[in-house]
Amino acid sequence: MKKSTTHSQENPVIRFFSSVRLAIFLLIALALTSIIGTVIPQGQSQQFYLDNFGPGMSKLTKILHLNDTYHSWWYLSLLALFSTNLIVCTLKRLPFTLKLFKKDNLAVRSDYLTRMPYKRIWRVRDGVLDNARIQKLLSTFQEKAGSFQKRSNVDGGTLFLVERGKWSYWGLYGVHLSILIIFLGALFGSFYGFKGRIMLMEGETTDHAVRFDTAAPIPLGFSIRCDHFFVSFYENGAPKEFRSDLTILENGKEILHKAILVNDPLEYKGITFYQASYQAIPEVTVKVVSSEGAQRSFIIPAFQKVSWPESGMTLALLKYIPNIHGVPAARVWVGDGTGQGHALWVLQGRTEQYNRGNTTYKLSLVSASQRYMTGLQVKKDPGVWVVWLGCTALILGFAIVFWIPHRRSWLWVGPKDGEMQVILSGQTNKNKIHFEKDFRELEDSINSVLGTNK
Amino acid sequence: MNLSSSYLLSLTTFIYLGAAALYMIHWIFRVRQVGILATVVTVGGFLVQTAGIILRWKESYHLGYGHAPLSNLYESLVFFSWVTILVYLVIEWRVKKRVIGAFATPFASLAMAYASFSPSVADSIEPLIPALQSNWLLAHVITCFLGYASFAVACGLGIMYLIKMRSAHHEEVPESVTGSLPQLKVLDDLMHQTIIFGFLWLSVGIITGAVWANQAWGTYWSWDPKETWSLITWFIYATALHARFVRGWAGQRIAWLSIVGFLSVIFTYFGVNFLLSGLHSYGSG
Repeated sequence: MKKSTTHSQENPVIRFFSSVRLAIFLLIALALTSIIGTVIPQGQSQQFYLDNFGPGMSKLTKILHLNDTYHSWWYLSLLALFSTNLIVCTLKRLPFTLKLFKKDNLAVRSDYLTRMPYKRIWRVRDGVLDNARIQKLLSTFQEKAGSFQKRSNVDGGTLFLVERGKWSYWGLYGVHLSILIIFLGALFGSFYGFKGRIMLMEGETTDHAVRFDTAAPIPLGFSIRCDHFFVSFYENGAPKEFRSDLTILENGKEILHKAILVNDPLEYKGITFYQASYQAIPEVTVKVVSSEGAQRSFIIPAFQKVSWPESGMTLALLKYIPNIHGVPAARVWVGDGTGQGHALWVLQGRTEQYNRGNTTYKLSLVSASQRYMTGLQVKKDPGVWVVWLGCTALILGFAIVFWIPHRRSWLWVGPKDGEMQVILSGQTNKNKIHFEKDFRELEDSINSVLGTNK
Repeated sequence: MNLSSSYLLSLTTFIYLGAAALYMIHWIFRVRQVGILATVVTVGGFLVQTAGIILRWKESYHLGYGHAPLSNLYESLVFFSWVTILVYLVIEWRVKKRVIGAFATPFASLAMAYASFSPSVADSIEPLIPALQSNWLLAHVITCFLGYASFAVACGLGIMYLIKMRSAHHEEVPESVTGSLPQLKVLDDLMHQTIIFGFLWLSVGIITGAVWANQAWGTYWSWDPKETWSLITWFIYATALHARFVRGWAGQRIAWLSIVGFLSVIFTYFGVNFLLSGLHSYGSG
């Protein structure tokens, strides 16, 4: 396997693309260029690079797409070249491996066996090997080495062969093809899948997600509702659990409920929903008492205006702090309906005054609560199973390439140089230490068969 | 005195430092008995450390968190050191060359010393944040660190190879300091075997990380600096493996690659956390 068959008339283009030297060059190039994207912050605006790196580097960043290094034309070209190298290399080695795989290892001469790295020759002194001893010899060979193939009339004798792991030559192809399979899975997923997000208030329902890359809405084909969101913390303040109770609806009918956690997403019709983030949206109840006698309580959620038409007043929540001096506090904006207004802090247990014209309003914080908005990451990736297939093949391939040897053990029995000889020889393409140990054991067993009743 | 995991693990630090010193003495002064003592001390330290890790696991249950001790920098350093010693002891048992210990055990001792003495490494048992609450944590950390530890040992072998090579009379004078090192051929083969072992586990580690990321965040690969550096490490060792197929790339170059590869491992392990986060934070600061 180590030596490649080089023909003088070989196409230089093929020779270039199939060379291990190119593979080494590409591996080093990929290792070095991959560093760039870990040093330069990715996905920032052009202005960011200008501010932090100056005009020269900023221009280079733009030309070489260093703001998105791993999807830049030159990085993808390196990966394409890497794939080409893999494919051409595979195709070129195929006939060579097939030859190795189909090779008839019984078609050898006895001289060849004596040139093997592991060998032992016994000369049977009395010149004859009776049937009983041959039977004993073969059963020992079978017991120690495994079931054998047999061929008569090899150099006037009989040849027995135990061959193991001949198929292991294909492991290398498994490894190389699996990398291409992973690439294909990734490509397939990027063409036919999407990544996006959904922000859902508790109780809200949506039938689409928002794409990460283009911010375009993607219809889901069904609806999803967030029934509840829960967050809990450990005593040290670190988060313990983020949980969203979700319901899938189709045509207004509830199909399924599932509580998702960070490591436990919900999958429905090929689309997966992951717990990604959350926001606590405060909501306060404020009581307003007018000096003219009117009074009313308002529930003010964040980001919304609440109006009191009778008095021409609008209220909005600017900020909510759960705990100031032991009580909750809300910064409330009070508008007079004309765009003019005033912001004031309302602490629970105290009243704040707001004057408009001759009227005085007294504001007090009745209660405060939080509503949660859950942030879901939404993904569809039909290529992910192809990627896992590639990963599995990669690991199996490695195990075969590194640890499954092609072992051959020959036993030849016949007359040679005027006497009866028994030749034992063996060869392995990896893990020589282990093979040698097995071979010596086999040798000792055969020695004891041939050594007795001389 | 009440036996606690932190006591056992601090004790381990001193035992491993002692073992590394003994292996060094064994190598430089070539006293056979010191080598045997070094092995005994290392095995003893390994048992104490194993007990410490199991005890820490139990203690986390008493605290009500209940998770394997593989969740923060301190625990990962302890585990790295444990696997390094394990990989080394297997090699020593198979190859019967104690000199290698002088180049392998220092990695484990240094990791333990860093974990125990650095003020920036907190050794308290903390509960798992939601992102880490997964069975993949165990599979991912164990496989990655099997890779890292093998690469540490391969780096030690690479250093030995270069020292042996640089000395002009390496084969002729067996009693010299470099003469007592294993033969270049043996070192080269061991280095190759160790890199293969590490490479397989690094690959499994990257894959389990991808499966986990896909389950937790919905993306199996996001080019985050940690992921990218693990891939850079993978490229370096893939280079080393392919280099053996090209004539003229054996031995010395692979020794260098095993050292560069381990530097990349260290960067993947620490550098990404300490340096790149810094690089990223200056922009927002």
